[in-house]
This record gives sequence, structure tokens and C-alpha cells, in this order.
Amino acid sequence: MPLAQSIPAAMLYDAILDAGITDIVAVPDTHQRSLIELIVERGTPPFIQAATEDEAIAIAAGMIIGGRRPLLQIQHAGLYACVNNLRGLGIDAEFPIPMLIGLLGRDVTRTPRDNHDSMVRYAEPLLDTLEIPHVLLDGPDDVERLGEACRQAWERSGPVAILVGAATI
Amino acid sequence: MNDGPRISLDSALTTLARRREQQVVVATMTALAPWRAKAGTDRDIGCVGFMGGASTFGLGIALARPDVPVWIIDGDGSLMMQLGSLVTIANAAPRRFLHVVLHNGVYDTSGAQPILVEGTVSFTGLAEAAGYARAVRFDNVESFDAALDELLEVDGPVLVELMTQATGAGYVTPAPTETRQRHALALAWPALRDALAGA
Repeated sequence: MPLAQSIPAAMLYDAILDAGITDIVAVPDTHQRSLIELIVERGTPPFIQAATEDEAIAIAAGMIIGGRRPLLQIQHAGLYACVNNLRGLGIDAEFPIPMLIGLLGRDVTRTPRDNHDSMVRYAEPLLDTLEIPHVLLDGPDDVERLGEACRQAWERSGPVAILVGAATI
Repeated sequence: MNDGPRISLDSALTTLARRREQQVVVATMTALAPWRAKAGTDRDIGCVGFMGGASTFGLGIALARPDVPVWIIDGDGSLMMQLGSLVTIANAAPRRFLHVVLHNGVYDTSGAQPILVEGTVSFTGLAEAAGYARAVRFDNVESFDAALDELLEVDGPVLVELMTQATGAGYVTPAPTETRQRHALALAWPALRDALAGA
């Protein structure tokens, strides 16, 4: 029995706009491919692609200084790759960065913590270790949590993770 | 080590400081304190605690505020930690973006260990290959000074590689604190945001 259902890209796109996100700073993620295609096709919010997740976090932080409200869009492997910048800019420097993170390869019959794949299994425990709040979008009914998570990031002035449980369609 | 002529850090910063107006300046490592002492304003922000991120941090500011020129004062070892940032910056193509790389050939703060492939590495070559609008290397301050005004008029990201002398200034490890302190950058960036919002 699946625990997670795919969310249509258009639904996530609308939620991003409704939340007040001004820019997407991203490293491409297979799991969110349909959403990336839609954002690029629509041309707004601006889609800023970085070579690494470290760079993406620094770009997002700089944009916040410039008055923007960016959303980071990465994959779980990218979360592991950028821990130092996430610590330095998100946690220590208190930049409010909401992060949309794809759980590529998740077995949707299990919770992320019960997955055999280490990239899926360690995502939530790592965020807990870093004291970063996180929400799991496990289907269309959860999409409203995206906006709530963005507001939480802005209110606490720190990162908040929004985990995408099943590949977007 | 590259045995050619070298520019002192002080003369390099002095040359930049003479052109300081309303630019946002992101400095890092050994340049950070002397730059602030020489030309610091409320439009300075330091890259501390996120190694190699000075240029992409500045890129974010430049993308959000294309009306504001952004200067980066980067280190060679720092840039090597996030070398892919060159292609990210070239792709984003900020229009008024000066990326100064202080190429002293060593990790100055950690004991002057040589950077990798020192003697052959060219940050100018890397930037050109990445797609910067212009990339120029200088090994004397007079040439740098003579060229800088024209470089500041280039429409697109410019990398200036300055062959500089190591300072020998090691990193001073902060003493542990008894209580958790807010990070200096957390206190600094809202002020810069507000200054830019009012500009």
C-alpha cells in the first residue's frame, strides 16, 4: 500500500506562487523534473541554476540580502553535499531559506526513515541533527504545507525543509 | 611557487579602495580585515563560515539588485573550494560584477601550504573557459591601476587575477565561548539588506 502519491507539478507550482516565492535557486533533481520543466516553461519565478548545492545556498542568501524570497530546489544527495554552507549560512547566519528537497528513489510503501536506500533514510535524521524543521509532502493533500513551511522559514529566520515524498508528475 | 613579480595585498586593496563608491563588497579570508580597515562601509559583507562561497554569495546580491555593482575579493584557495562557481556566475551573467582573485599561491591562513598546481594554474584561463565576459591577470599594481577603470565598465562578469604576496597572517582561532553566541554574519546581513532597500 503506497504511503505517498505523486503531486502534479502544476499544483506545486501554484503553491510556490501563492507562498510568495520570488525566485527558484536550483540544482536539477530527477525527482522534481516535471516541476522544473514547468517553472522553466512559465519563466516565472526566475529559475537560477547552480553547479552545486553549496553555491545554490550562497546565491539564495545573497538574494535575501537583495530583498528577494528565494526557494532552494535540490535533491536529498544535494542536501548531504551542502551541509557546511547550510550550517554556515542557514543556521549560523540565520538566512531564511525554504528548501524543496526530492527524495529520489524512495520506496513509497515505507516511510522515509524505513527506506533501505541510505539517501532516503538519512534525510530526516540529518535535518533533525541540524535542528532544521521539516515537512513531508506525501500527496496532493499535503501541498498546503509548502506555504506554511515557507512562512516558518521567514518567521524563524532559518532554513526549513520541504521533502517531496514521491516523484512529481 | 610562481617566482614572478608579486603585488602586495595592501597596494592591491588600495587600488580598489580608490574606486570605492556604492558597490557592495564581499571579501573573504586574509583580505577581509585589511579591506574593512581601508575602505569599509555599510555595504561590506564578509564571507566567513562557508568556505569558498564569496563569489556566489555576491552573485545572489547582484541578481537581486542588478542596479548595484558587486565586487568580490576572493582568495585562490577559497575559489578552489568551489571552482564550479565560475560556470554558475558566467551562466547567470551579472552585468556589474568584479571578481578579484588574490592569487598568492598558498593557504595563507592555515600555515602557507601551497595551493594545488601552483605555478601552472591560471584563474584567468579558468574564468575565460567558463565564459566570463573578461578575465585579466596582473603581476604589478601599476598595470592593474591603469586597467581597472576600463574593466569596471565591462557589461558582464569580470575576473581580475592579482598575483599577490602571501601575508603570513595566520588564522587566530577564536576562544570558545561560555554561551552560544549569535554569528556575526547573522547580525550584519539585515543591516546591509536594509541599506540596500533604502537605496
